[in-house]
Amino acid sequence: MRIGGAILVLWAAATATFFAVRLIPGDPAQAFLGGPGSQASAEALARVRAENGFDLPLWQQYLDYLGRLLRGELGTSYSLHAPVSEVVGEQLAGTLELALWSLVIAWVIALGLALWSVAGGPVAARIAAGIEMTAAVLPHFWLGSVLILLFATGLGWLPAIATPDARGIILPALTLAIPLAGFLAQLLREALQDAAAQPFVLTARARGESHASVFARHTLRHAAGPAIGLTGWAFGSLMSGAVVVETIFARPGLGRTLVSAVQVRDVPLVIGLTLVAAAAYLVVSVLSDLAERALNPALRIRTEAGAGA
Amino acid sequence: MSENTRQERPGSEPTSPSTPPHAQHARASQPVPPRTASPWGSHTPHRFTLRARDIPRLIAALILLLLVIAAIFPALFAPGDPLAIDPAAGFQPPGGAHPFGTDGSGRDLYTRVIHGAGPSLLIGLGATALGIGLATILGLLAGLGPRWLDFGTSRLIEVLLAFPGLVLALLVMVISGPGALGATVAVGLATAPGYARIIRGRVREIAGSGYVEAARVQGRGRVHILTRHIFPGTARSLASLATLGLGQAIVWVCALSFLGLGVAPPAAEWGALLNEGRQFIATFWWLTFFPGLFIVLTAVSATVLGRGLARTDRSAS
Amino acid sequence: MNTHRRLLGFAVPALLLGSALALSACSAVAPTEPVSTDKTLVYASGDAEPTCLDPHVGGNYPQSLLAAQFLEQLVSENKDGEFTPWLAKSWTTSPDGLTWTFTLADNVKFSDGTPLDAAAVVRNIEHVQDPETKSSTGYLALAKVSKATATDAHTVTLNLSQPDSALLESLSQPWLAIESPAGLARSQDENCQAPIGTGAFVVDSWKRQDSVTLSRNPHYTTGKGEPALAKITWRFIPDSATRIAALRSGDVQMIDNAQPDTIAASAASDEIKHLDAPRPGSVNRIEFNSSRGPLADERVREALVRGVDVNAGIKTLFFGTATRSYSPLSSVEKLGFSEPKLFDTDVNAAKKLLDEAGWVPGTDGIREKDGQKLSLKFPVSTNQSIPAEQSLFEQIQEQAKGLGIAITITPLDLSSWYEALGKNDYDLVSAPYTKVGPDVLRILYHSAGITPAPSGYFANHAQVNLPALDDLLTRAAETGDQTERASLYEQAQKTILEGYYILPLYDQQNHFLYSGKLTGVGEVNSVGNPLLRGVSFAG
Repeated sequence: MRIGGAILVLWAAATATFFAVRLIPGDPAQAFLGGPGSQASAEALARVRAENGFDLPLWQQYLDYLGRLLRGELGTSYSLHAPVSEVVGEQLAGTLELALWSLVIAWVIALGLALWSVAGGPVAARIAAGIEMTAAVLPHFWLGSVLILLFATGLGWLPAIATPDARGIILPALTLAIPLAGFLAQLLREALQDAAAQPFVLTARARGESHASVFARHTLRHAAGPAIGLTGWAFGSLMSGAVVVETIFARPGLGRTLVSAVQVRDVPLVIGLTLVAAAAYLVVSVLSDLAERALNPALRIRTEAGAGA
Repeated sequence: MSENTRQERPGSEPTSPSTPPHAQHARASQPVPPRTASPWGSHTPHRFTLRARDIPRLIAALILLLLVIAAIFPALFAPGDPLAIDPAAGFQPPGGAHPFGTDGSGRDLYTRVIHGAGPSLLIGLGATALGIGLATILGLLAGLGPRWLDFGTSRLIEVLLAFPGLVLALLVMVISGPGALGATVAVGLATAPGYARIIRGRVREIAGSGYVEAARVQGRGRVHILTRHIFPGTARSLASLATLGLGQAIVWVCALSFLGLGVAPPAAEWGALLNEGRQFIATFWWLTFFPGLFIVLTAVSATVLGRGLARTDRSAS
Repeated sequence: MNTHRRLLGFAVPALLLGSALALSACSAVAPTEPVSTDKTLVYASGDAEPTCLDPHVGGNYPQSLLAAQFLEQLVSENKDGEFTPWLAKSWTTSPDGLTWTFTLADNVKFSDGTPLDAAAVVRNIEHVQDPETKSSTGYLALAKVSKATATDAHTVTLNLSQPDSALLESLSQPWLAIESPAGLARSQDENCQAPIGTGAFVVDSWKRQDSVTLSRNPHYTTGKGEPALAKITWRFIPDSATRIAALRSGDVQMIDNAQPDTIAASAASDEIKHLDAPRPGSVNRIEFNSSRGPLADERVREALVRGVDVNAGIKTLFFGTATRSYSPLSSVEKLGFSEPKLFDTDVNAAKKLLDEAGWVPGTDGIREKDGQKLSLKFPVSTNQSIPAEQSLFEQIQEQAKGLGIAITITPLDLSSWYEALGKNDYDLVSAPYTKVGPDVLRILYHSAGITPAPSGYFANHAQVNLPALDDLLTRAAETGDQTERASLYEQAQKTILEGYYILPLYDQQNHFLYSGKLTGVGEVNSVGNPLLRGVSFAG
């Protein structure tokens, strides 16, 4: 069921991207030969058209493409003149690393904020709520520039651009993590307040368990579920954010490659990158679903998995 | 920013529309806990503080009201011409004749920010309306239709969710070319799947609730159930979703501006202003500070108000 | 002026004896402090990452910036516009200008160890002219070369179909750099990854979307000794704010495409220094599409030119880093001709011209004629116009509105921008073009440049179609007489300016900022690419 759904999702993503990219004005044969500025000859254009089947009807091109996709061939990038699978392989690690670090940092910040807001009384809760809401609406490109200004040029603590050592990931990851942390913290805080009023928490309190024990064993566990369940969504959002952050911090990665691929009308590369992003989203949402269920026994008996991911 | 709208603001209240579907499933059958419960388990009701909690909402509503007035009648607040240039007086810091300073062409930033409220809010509202409109259709089909329709629509929502939002927006913008309309459609499409999932969950929740069951038992027709229960219940959720989404939509447009796909110059849209000012962030701070302030102010006000609506929604259902 | 171009005289075969010192005309003074030789310089480029490192393929400016570090040309040009030996130590031309003979420098080796000989040069010319290579810039520059032959091991003869007064200028460009035949023998994809040349550095690796790594060429002999830098990491950092931040924080030591405000801000301190290397050939200008709509009328073009003042805007937006130009040619071109008087702002005169042309103000302030609005389309390439320039365009738009002309600016990515140009869907446009020497005028304003190539590309965006101008440009490109050449180019420029086909703005900006810790920065080639072979870290 899940696998069938996943294949359906990937097929639809590939189809949608195929037609969307072909809708963009611009000749794919020209894209293949380096864009309109490169003054390709008429013969070269004709040859590329014939070789790549650009002269065939669109539906036939689509079927051909789908056929190749089924055989696991993502095709060759027009602009980089390298197999799409190779380009994706090269760029995937950077984006995954960025996304994972961002998730970790976002969770740490969110937990910290949520705990502080529930432990620190109404004033702390107010302040935390304000911080969360503001953090959640900060545009990445602005935030990234401010962080560079502050920590790279101002204080000189961290490099402004991606560097081979581990320090280079901190600012880009923070840029992605802060707005995400705002969202997660809001969710977490509400869930904590909600969980605290649950019958089992009240029962545990009545049994004489300590505040800390109740909190750790019941409240937090109960509250973390939905937020973890949302990690799949968060990961998807990080892929979009990576487009901006990778450009600002000059990090190699899927996002930056994708923007330039769209700009040069590199159809196979755009589809390949979209498929990878969609697949990553599917994998992470399955994982986060499983984690959520492991944390929350009530969900284990749920058979109908909502929207499915 | 931007992509956070994938799934609308996660869980403000236990049964708020913005709670992820999973959470709603888990809670649908549980009694609604008193709002005042502390997570530490103590239970001290303080009904009288309700008025204090309303203050942020009142302020947020006031800010949004002022912004809407500014959007419709910008000349009330800034009588000048937002496009008037004065090349010799470029990059003036805030003060005197220019409370927010001037940009490189000597245009008054205050006037531009105020006049920017119109296009910014219009794109935000348009995109949210489009996103929620599409989402409502999908959500109702999935939530009320037969099993196969729910399956199909849910898959479709899933596909859209798996499609990176910014990629979708990027493709739409490249196809349509830069401009306010393209930006509206791009952001609307990119945010629709997140809303759709929430609406589907909400519709299913209401459809499965006790009073709808009761109405069914009483022999009420489909139309009655739809118009008297499902629509009102969903509409309240939509109102809060829309308010919450407005802020996010404005932030999305910023991301498009960054990629060079925002509104066409010289329009004074906030995202475009913010992006224009970004390269001067180290030298002329005011060029990013003021547009940024208005974006954050709008988005936060919308969030506060949206959460307020969600709260009302919860207590009403 | 004529003395600078004396060696171009065809009548007297010019024999130029190799003088390595000539190169020092554009290089900086040797550092007095001891320099370390194991350092890596990190360079941050804001230009688009090339899709191929071989500048023969396609041939754009980003390719040349990088290729200048590992490839070299037959000739070089010094700051006075004189051509100096590089891989060729001397050259002669026949009296009819149709035969050129180049004698190659001795003992030069490619970084793969193979010697530079006449056969290698011939192979390179054939490579550029081979349609399979898909060369555009280099291909065009060699248009008049019909045959290249290796007369002996160190002598190359070029036979021309027509005399070419711009041949040395063309050969000094990195798009005609000489590569190892062994490298060219590989597949194009392989050669694109790491072309092999005679330059001071060698391409080690290329990590896409990230960086190209270069290391010192152990065989390097054409400069003044070994390069001091052990390695160069050539990074692609598209965001200008990040680039300057990385330079300020010390993560990189040199950046290109420096923005005016950051150059001005850096002038105050010693920590960051500035290198201004305006591109040769064309000036940066707005071209008026004279083939369609209102701008087909010269009076409307003149009204636009005289009705807007760009000087105040240039002063504020560029912080003194750009000087207003009144010439179709770059300020580095000795044959550039200016006519500032044509561009004196006179709003009333402009309005009168529009009235005369039949465009009368409508109810909304925008002029009309025969029910047609005076509205113009201005597609702007966001890849090619820096933010300050885009602001300047907005100022022009606003001032034109005052005249009753509605200009619609549309920012577009490069593909969409070319698409708009190819469909002739524009009235104003600003496009860069880099070519050494005044012959660039022939490419940009000869009517032959209106006909699009099969790819849709054309260079004459103003669509100037004047047989008299064509004639001037053709004769200028063929004459061997320096005085005549100068006079022909002056007449051609006068025609272009007085026909109000363009609004010249400033030189094609090419600013670099670098760390104060570096010494030896300043040497540039004929197209304004900095050469890093003499650069070292002080102390």
